[in-house]
Amino acid sequence: MSTQPPQPTPAAEGAPGVAPHLLYVTGLSFAYPGRPGLLRDLHLTLQPGERVGVIGPNGAGKTTLFMLLCGVLTPDSGMIRLLERPVTPGTFHPEIGMVFQNPDDQLFCLSVWDDVAFGPQNLGLSRAEVAARVEAALTTTGVRHLAERPPQQLSGGEQRMVAIAGVLALHPRLVIYDEPSANLDIRSRRRLIQFLQASPETLLLASHDLELILEVCDRVLLLDAGQIVGDGRPYVVMGDAALMAAHGLERPATLL
Amino acid sequence: MNLTLDAYAHRDSPLHRWEPRCKLVALLVLLFAFAFVRDLRLLPAMLLVTAGLYAASRLPAALLLSRLRYPGMFLLLFALLVPLLVGSTILLKIGPLALYREGLLFLLLVATRFGAILTVSIVLFGTMPFLTSVRALRALGLPEILADMTLLAYRYLHELGRDLRMMQTAMRLRGFQGRAFSPRNLRMPAALVGSLLVRSYARSERVYQAMILRGYGHESACCASTLVPVTRPDLMALVGTLLVATGFVVGDVLLRTGALV
Amino acid sequence: MHLPDGILPVTVCAAGYATGGALTWYALRKINRQANPRARVPQAALLTAAFFVASWIHIPVPPTSVHLILNGLLGVLLGYYAVPAILIGLFFQAVMFQHGGLTTLGVNATMMGLPALLAYVLFRLRFLFGRESRAGTGLAGFLGGAGGLALAVLIFYGLLVTTIPATLDIRMERAAITALALAHIPVVLLEGVFTALVVLFLQRVRPDLLDGASGWTPPVPVAAPDPSLPGIRGADEPHA
Repeated sequence: MSTQPPQPTPAAEGAPGVAPHLLYVTGLSFAYPGRPGLLRDLHLTLQPGERVGVIGPNGAGKTTLFMLLCGVLTPDSGMIRLLERPVTPGTFHPEIGMVFQNPDDQLFCLSVWDDVAFGPQNLGLSRAEVAARVEAALTTTGVRHLAERPPQQLSGGEQRMVAIAGVLALHPRLVIYDEPSANLDIRSRRRLIQFLQASPETLLLASHDLELILEVCDRVLLLDAGQIVGDGRPYVVMGDAALMAAHGLERPATLL
Repeated sequence: MNLTLDAYAHRDSPLHRWEPRCKLVALLVLLFAFAFVRDLRLLPAMLLVTAGLYAASRLPAALLLSRLRYPGMFLLLFALLVPLLVGSTILLKIGPLALYREGLLFLLLVATRFGAILTVSIVLFGTMPFLTSVRALRALGLPEILADMTLLAYRYLHELGRDLRMMQTAMRLRGFQGRAFSPRNLRMPAALVGSLLVRSYARSERVYQAMILRGYGHESACCASTLVPVTRPDLMALVGTLLVATGFVVGDVLLRTGALV
Repeated sequence: MHLPDGILPVTVCAAGYATGGALTWYALRKINRQANPRARVPQAALLTAAFFVASWIHIPVPPTSVHLILNGLLGVLLGYYAVPAILIGLFFQAVMFQHGGLTTLGVNATMMGLPALLAYVLFRLRFLFGRESRAGTGLAGFLGGAGGLALAVLIFYGLLVTTIPATLDIRMERAAITALALAHIPVVLLEGVFTALVVLFLQRVRPDLLDGASGWTPPVPVAAPDPSLPGIRGADEPHA
C-alpha cells in the first residue's frame, strides 16, 4: 500500500456529496521570526472521529503546528478551518482542546475540582452546569477521587489525567495531545492508552511512543522539516523501514 | 521578550574592547557626575560627551530609541505636571493654568540628565555580556552571595518567563480573558503567581542538589581570574573619563557659586 | 513606582546608596549567621527570578491595568533574603528595561527593601492565630502586602516632596503630591488582597514555604566527599 503523501486536492467545501471536514488546513506556512521557515505549505484534513498520530524527529514542527491549530500562533500564510469556521488567532475556541506535554504548565488552581471547573466557568455556564461538566470529566478520566487535592501534589500520571479532564470539560470536538505518555510509568501509560482508545472525540496525537500510536491511532502523519512526508495506516507508514530511517525514526518493535 | 542587551555585546568597538572593571568604574563615576550637575549651562557639554560615547560604542541608534521609549513615558507625566506647578515666574497663561519658567527649566535639567544617564548605562551594559558584568562586579568587591544569586537568577529568568507564558497560554486556551475587575480575575492571577512560586521552589531544590553534588560550597576561589588583564589603554581611558567626570563636578560648583562667568 | 535617573539630587542618590548599602550589609550579616547560608542561595535566586517574572502579570483595574510590585510578598516569603532579592531585581530592571535607574538603585532598594522586612515582621502576626488558621494567615498576608507597599509609597512621596524645588505655591504643589499619594490607596489595598490570596494558595499547596524564612533545613544533607576516592580533593576541605 502506498505511503506517498496524498496529492493536495482538497475537495471544495460545500460541494455536493462532500462531507464537511472536521479540520481543514491548506497552504499553512509559518516561520519563527528570524529563523528559517518551519512549516511550508502544509495541507491537512481531518474527519470527525479520526485518531491521527503525528510522528517525526524533534524540531519537525509538531508543537508549532498544534499551536497554529489552536490559534495561539498566527500563520504566515494559509487557512485553518474547524467545522467550517475559520480559526482566528487570539480568540477562544473551545472546540479545540490541547493537552500540553508538561501538565505542570496547565494546572494552577488550588484543587483538582477548581482546575477542571476553570474552563466551563469561562464559558459562562451556570453553577449547576459547571458542576455537571466537572463531575463528568473527572469520572471519565478516573480522577474523581482526587477532586479535593491540589494538583501540584499529584503524581505525573494523575496530573496528566487531571489536565485531560480540564480540557474535556469544555466538550471539545478535537483534542490535541502533545507527547501524552512522556514521563509516565507503565501502569499510568496503560491507563492512558485505554482511555484514549475509548475516547469518542477526534484525536490528534504527537508522540515519540510509537507503540502507543500503533495501539490508539488509525492514521499516522509523518512530519519532517515542515512537510507531511507520510500519511496512511499506522502499520503501513511506520512499517516502512526506509521511510522511517530517512526521517530519523525507527520502526516500532511490534512491526519489526 | 528581549530581556537583555546581550544581542549587541559581541560587536567590536573601543568600548567593547575596554576592560570590564575599568569600564564599570569609569562610567559609573561619570553617571554620578551627570547626576551632580545642576547648572543648565553644562547640559550641552553633557549631551556632547554622551553622544560621543554612544557613537564610539557603535551601538545602533534604533536600540537607544527603543530603550528610551518606556521610561520616557514616566518622564512625560513629569513633563506635563512640573511646568504647571513649580515656579514663580509665569511665562504663559492659558485660562486658569500657568506655565512657569522655573518649572520648565527644571524639567529641561531633569530630562537631559535622565537621557544622558540612561544612554551611558546602555553603553556600559550593552557592550559586554551580562555574565562579564557580574564577574567584573565580583572582582570589584561585590559580596559572593550577591554574585551567586545574580547569576542564578539571570540563568533561570528565561525559563521562568517561558513557564509563565506557557501557563498563561494554557489559561487563554481554556477561555480566560481576565479583562474585567472581578474577584475571579484577581484569584486567577494569584493562583498563577502561587503556582509559579511553587514550581520555582521545586526547581531550586533540584538546582541546589545538582550544585552540591558538583561541589558547590567547597570552592571559594571565584572567577576573577577569567577576566582579561588590564592594559595601558584601558587605564588611560579610565583616567580620562574620571577627569571628564571631575570636570563636570568642579565646573558645576564653580558655575553655581559664580566663580566662573 | 521606581524612581528613575535624573530626578533626584545627587545627595539623595548618595544617601540612598548609603542606606541601601547598610541595609544590604545588615541583611547579609543575618544571612551569614545562619547554619548554611549558601544552601538557600538557589532558593532565593529562583524566587528573585520568579518575582521579576511575576511583576509582568497585569491585574485589570479600571480604566487600565497595573503591574504589581509584590515587595510585601517577597518579604513574607524570603525574610532577610528579600533585601538582596530586591536589590538584584532592581538591578535587572535597570539594566534590562531601563526601569528605575542606576544612580537611584540605592534609593529604590531602600524604598522597597525596608518595607519588605516590615512585611515579614507583620506576617509573623499570623502565629497569634495559629499556624494552620486560614483567616489568620490571610489577614497577616493582607497586612504584609498592604503594609509593605504603603511604606514604600510613603517613602516615595516623601522623597518627591522634599526634592522637587520649592515654589511660591507650595500648597498647590503639596496638594497635587498628596492627591497622587492618596490615589495609591486602592493599589495598596489591591496588593494586600493579592498577597493574601497568594499566601492562602501556598498555605494550601506547600505550607512549608511560608515557614521558610525562619528555620529552614536544606533538602539534601550531603556527606563530605570521600578523600580516598581518586579525583576528590584532600581531607582538609570544609564540609558542605
